Amino acid sequence: MTARKKKEVSKPTVLLREEEYSIIGKPIPRVDARAKVTGEAKYAADIEVADMLWGAIKRSPYPHARILNIDTSKAERLPGVKAVITGKDFGGFKWGWSRETRDEEPLAVSKVRYLYEGVAAVAAIDEDIAEEACELIEVEYEPLAGVFDPFEAMKEGAPLVHEDRPGNICVEYHWNFGDVEKAFSESYLVREDTFQTPRMAKGYLEPPAVVAYWTDSSHLTVIPAKGSPYFPYRILANCFNLPLSNVRIIQPFIGADFGGTKNDMVACDFAAPMLARKAGKPVKIVYTMFDELTTCLRRHPMWITIKTGVTKDGIIKAIQTKVISDGGAYTRMSPLSNFLTGICMTLPYHLPNFKTDVYCYFTNNPSSAAMRGHGIYHTRFAGDVQLDMIAEELGIDPVEIRLRNAIKNPKPGEIYETINKLTLATCGIEECIEKAAEAINWKENKARQRVKGNKAYGIGFGCGTYLSGTKLSGHNACAALVRICEDGSVNYITGATDVGQGSDTVTCALVAEVLGIGLEDIDIKRVDTVHTPVDPGTYGSRVTVLAGEAAINAALDAKRQLLEVAAREFGVKPEDMDIKNKKAFVKSNPEMSIPWQRLVRMACYTTPGMVIIGRGQSSRGITTYGLADFTTGIGNIGTNYSFTAHAQEVEVDIETGVVRCTDNSVIAHDCGFPLNPPAVDTQVVGGAYHPGVGAALYCEFKMDKGLTLNPNLVDYKLPRAYEAPMTRVIHVITKDPFGPFGAKEASEGSTCTAPPAVINAIHDATGVWIKELPAKPEKVYWALKEKMEREKK
Amino acid sequence: MKDFDYFSARTVEEALGLLSKYREEAKIIAGGQSLLVLMRQGLLSPEYVIDIKGISDLDYIRYDDVDGLRIGALTTHRSIERSELIKEHYRVLSEMERNLATIQTRNWGTVGGNLCYGHHSGDLAPVLISLNAKLKVARLGGERVIDIEAFTKDLLEVDLEPDEMLLEIQVPPLKPYTGIAYEKLMVMQGDIGIVGASVLLRLNSSDGVCEEARIGLSGASTVPFRALEAEGVLVGRRIDDSVLREAAEVASEKADPPSDVHGSSVYRREMIKVFVRRVGKVALERARQG
Amino acid sequence: MKGELKDLKLVVNGKPYELKVKPKALLVDVLRKDLKLTGTKRGCLESTCGVCSVIVDGMAVRSCSILALQVNGREVTTIEGLSEGGKLHPIQEAFVNHGAIECGFCIPGRVMVAKALLDENPNPTREEVRLAMQGVLCADSGYVKQIEAVEIAAEKMRGGEGR
Repeated sequence: MTARKKKEVSKPTVLLREEEYSIIGKPIPRVDARAKVTGEAKYAADIEVADMLWGAIKRSPYPHARILNIDTSKAERLPGVKAVITGKDFGGFKWGWSRETRDEEPLAVSKVRYLYEGVAAVAAIDEDIAEEACELIEVEYEPLAGVFDPFEAMKEGAPLVHEDRPGNICVEYHWNFGDVEKAFSESYLVREDTFQTPRMAKGYLEPPAVVAYWTDSSHLTVIPAKGSPYFPYRILANCFNLPLSNVRIIQPFIGADFGGTKNDMVACDFAAPMLARKAGKPVKIVYTMFDELTTCLRRHPMWITIKTGVTKDGIIKAIQTKVISDGGAYTRMSPLSNFLTGICMTLPYHLPNFKTDVYCYFTNNPSSAAMRGHGIYHTRFAGDVQLDMIAEELGIDPVEIRLRNAIKNPKPGEIYETINKLTLATCGIEECIEKAAEAINWKENKARQRVKGNKAYGIGFGCGTYLSGTKLSGHNACAALVRICEDGSVNYITGATDVGQGSDTVTCALVAEVLGIGLEDIDIKRVDTVHTPVDPGTYGSRVTVLAGEAAINAALDAKRQLLEVAAREFGVKPEDMDIKNKKAFVKSNPEMSIPWQRLVRMACYTTPGMVIIGRGQSSRGITTYGLADFTTGIGNIGTNYSFTAHAQEVEVDIETGVVRCTDNSVIAHDCGFPLNPPAVDTQVVGGAYHPGVGAALYCEFKMDKGLTLNPNLVDYKLPRAYEAPMTRVIHVITKDPFGPFGAKEASEGSTCTAPPAVINAIHDATGVWIKELPAKPEKVYWALKEKMEREKK
Repeated sequence: MKDFDYFSARTVEEALGLLSKYREEAKIIAGGQSLLVLMRQGLLSPEYVIDIKGISDLDYIRYDDVDGLRIGALTTHRSIERSELIKEHYRVLSEMERNLATIQTRNWGTVGGNLCYGHHSGDLAPVLISLNAKLKVARLGGERVIDIEAFTKDLLEVDLEPDEMLLEIQVPPLKPYTGIAYEKLMVMQGDIGIVGASVLLRLNSSDGVCEEARIGLSGASTVPFRALEAEGVLVGRRIDDSVLREAAEVASEKADPPSDVHGSSVYRREMIKVFVRRVGKVALERARQG
Repeated sequence: MKGELKDLKLVVNGKPYELKVKPKALLVDVLRKDLKLTGTKRGCLESTCGVCSVIVDGMAVRSCSILALQVNGREVTTIEGLSEGGKLHPIQEAFVNHGAIECGFCIPGRVMVAKALLDENPNPTREEVRLAMQGVLCADSGYVKQIEAVEIAAEKMRGGEGR
């Protein structure tokens, strides 16, 4: 039943045996923790440069309108104003996530497509004057009728958000694997249900901010709050017609990213450099939380209809999904987000037949884009809740039905291939489910009484997968440099960005481990595009896996150069030597050794004197298996895949509908090998709670014809400390051959498992199914009431 | 925020003098936890801001068995929360404060500021309604005392003339066999309540008939709401669960709750029933203990 | 006169300052811009997220919701005032060693709220720690390690460190 193949897996270089690890696999203190805890760490809004001006954006009061005229004369005359720009200043430049989807202007020129879209910007000597000047800019609009959800957008004759995009279709996919119709006809039970996921904010607390200045007419420097600094690097080079080598992006500390806005461009990222050029002075723009919550990128709300056919024993025969999503005003990352709703549906349960039709529509709402858990979370939520519904109908235990369908961990050397050609060398889902069930005392809890007074208690399971080390078409290469200074200290130079997930720490640890020295000897040099190698960016859970591999290769290269010098000294071959505990030694006779510092000095100072720079790239996975094909849904989207089983208990107040997670909470996570176990724990717990439980219970933008009704953090609820479950994390170790030291991603998987776990727990507690997230008190209350009425009859 | 002129008043006289001079053009700032939000949003742009946070004379909690409780308008929420005096004599106020926003807000925000904001979902007003509190308000050359339930006239509008300032909250002493409780419907701890109920019950003996009932509701109307009719259901009867249920139904019926992103008016009506009953039960238990 | 600069005298991290500020200046902006203490962050500016939290006269407050002039004559402690001569305060140490720091944006505010809590209540229950942490949002950590770090710091401080 499992599609296992005996394929030749390219043997990973065995660098060290696990017992020999000095640093990795143990708690590794974060290299940036001290700077953050003392307040020394500078984020974009903390940056100040001499002569700096403050910028502000003028925004449209209509969600859909033609721009007839912009008069900036009054603004320009206001004392203190140094530059005013409009969309026209960008000379027709358009940009987008990919070459084919360049449909967005830095500032709108002829039309605005969402409320508060930027149409002009001002730079002035202080924020107050900049804002006052914005108010003095007079814009004439012709309001247009708009469409505000996919169902309006898809209607015949609906107003078009983009005139050249008929039917308001942003992107659509139609994939077909096997024969779902035949499989349904042969199924014992077929269920179809529709689920809904909410429109969400990314949730980070650092609003976008940027400082930009020109060192001369053709050299631009930008310091932005961007998790993938090489995106603005490329896009601004295009925008300002500069060679890439003239664009300098310096990365400050980043206050989290989660996949949109900070991973992509917003108006201030274009306005600041343009204003700086016009004014001849540096310009700083800092968004408010209101800007963030009304104009920045959101998670797509999706409507997922899922049809599943199973045998009498609950074995899945086929799944068919129809996904409708709201892409908002511009294309952005919607092709990727919507692609992801289908690509991993064939994990973590064996799936022999799969069909999906995905439709993403343009609407006159702020654009939707990536967010932690990305497209996978939507359909995983639907799939794993429906699986519980099926289990209930068939009278099968929810843990049992998952075990029956779980893909088994391939034996070493073997590969499991899904029907859409995702390949797994490791899959720990079975062990994850077993361990989570055991840790939550599932067997005992099944029998217990659910209701105590006006509270009901239930436990729910959610299982999922997440891609790791994303490989997209285009630039996937990732590189690192390891520079050994003459005194033995080491620079690790990377193009990768740590947005808080801990990748700086892990990659430094990999370098130290490979070189055989201490973590404290490594100093990381963060992204400055004039010095650091290009990097695809922080998204798709790729940094540890791919930048990690580059770091290892760079360290190996530097180590080889040093060992060549050492080998000559001892009259052996370099491969006969190794470095451990800051000593280079002959493997067969460890007493023949030389301390690290002395070796380095020898290499650097003995005529002619070496300059030791190790270079490394990651290439793993790119050539081994084919890249994913968006049109057909075939091919690997990740270098490897993590697996998660999540058990969560909830307490439901059956009189009010308020749902709380209790501390009875377990996540069993297969990340291959936890390079920094405490960091993995926090990432897994955080990934489950903030975007996962957030979606399940709290977070939702409410809209009214393009207007965000709750654009503040009182009315848009973010998960808080009092309600946070003290989740236990269990590591399931599968040592994936395609990840550095066996590692796979950590934590986006738990974002996907938390919503079904919570919703299934609510059902376990009360018998009601909440299919539209979030399960806010009022919703749960009415569902409970309805159930009571039904039972009376 | 627009620019304004600023005065720091050190005494009540000074503050009242400035108010009588600038009247509608001035706004008092105490903790500013509500005021600054409105000013940042551009909903309020006073020409003059009179800072009274420094008037130490208005920061006090006093009690005696004759006059009851006197709280200065500039007493912070946190002071109320932690006051041993309050915990001993009017524990419900401390309990209410524990769930009011977060510690930082309670450390700086004042009870006076909270009441003068006039929001229907504030926690303090309904508790004061059930405690039968009065407010002392002053202008230059005169003072007056207002019943708490008459203080809020409409959403964010209170009974204060432009030259008047709130000075003191007055809560009468409690008679034996009185029990009071307050609970609100929160999604998360510290949230503004979707609805809230404060119930005071006084029995004529430890197992006796109810002689007095006062019910204050939050989230039940455009102003903090006194559920008079529901009180009428309780007075003169021996209270049990079904009587509480009856009162709760009446309270819900007579309320006129708002609809917003946190809850519809229909849901709020249902929740008023739940909370009047729940809180009434706690108040009853407390009353029975004397 | 509207917007006329007023005198502001305050002590920040033990140092006295005399400034002239606009009446509408918020404490968070005076700290960050006038005193260059950028450790305190600006988040929501609407008194909800708590990343701007500092200590004024021993109380944890939101510096985005206080006019700078309101702290005239008062003592303010920010994150920069916590470590002494490069030695981390036990709360800072606990956060670092327990892996409670992710992107770090909420950490300065959170540490200050924790300090105010532990200075007032050296032996808080978990419930009390949660109540204190409720006032500072995080977007990434799930709060578990942060709650535990405060408890670890409390134990160390009860043992005599950080007074």
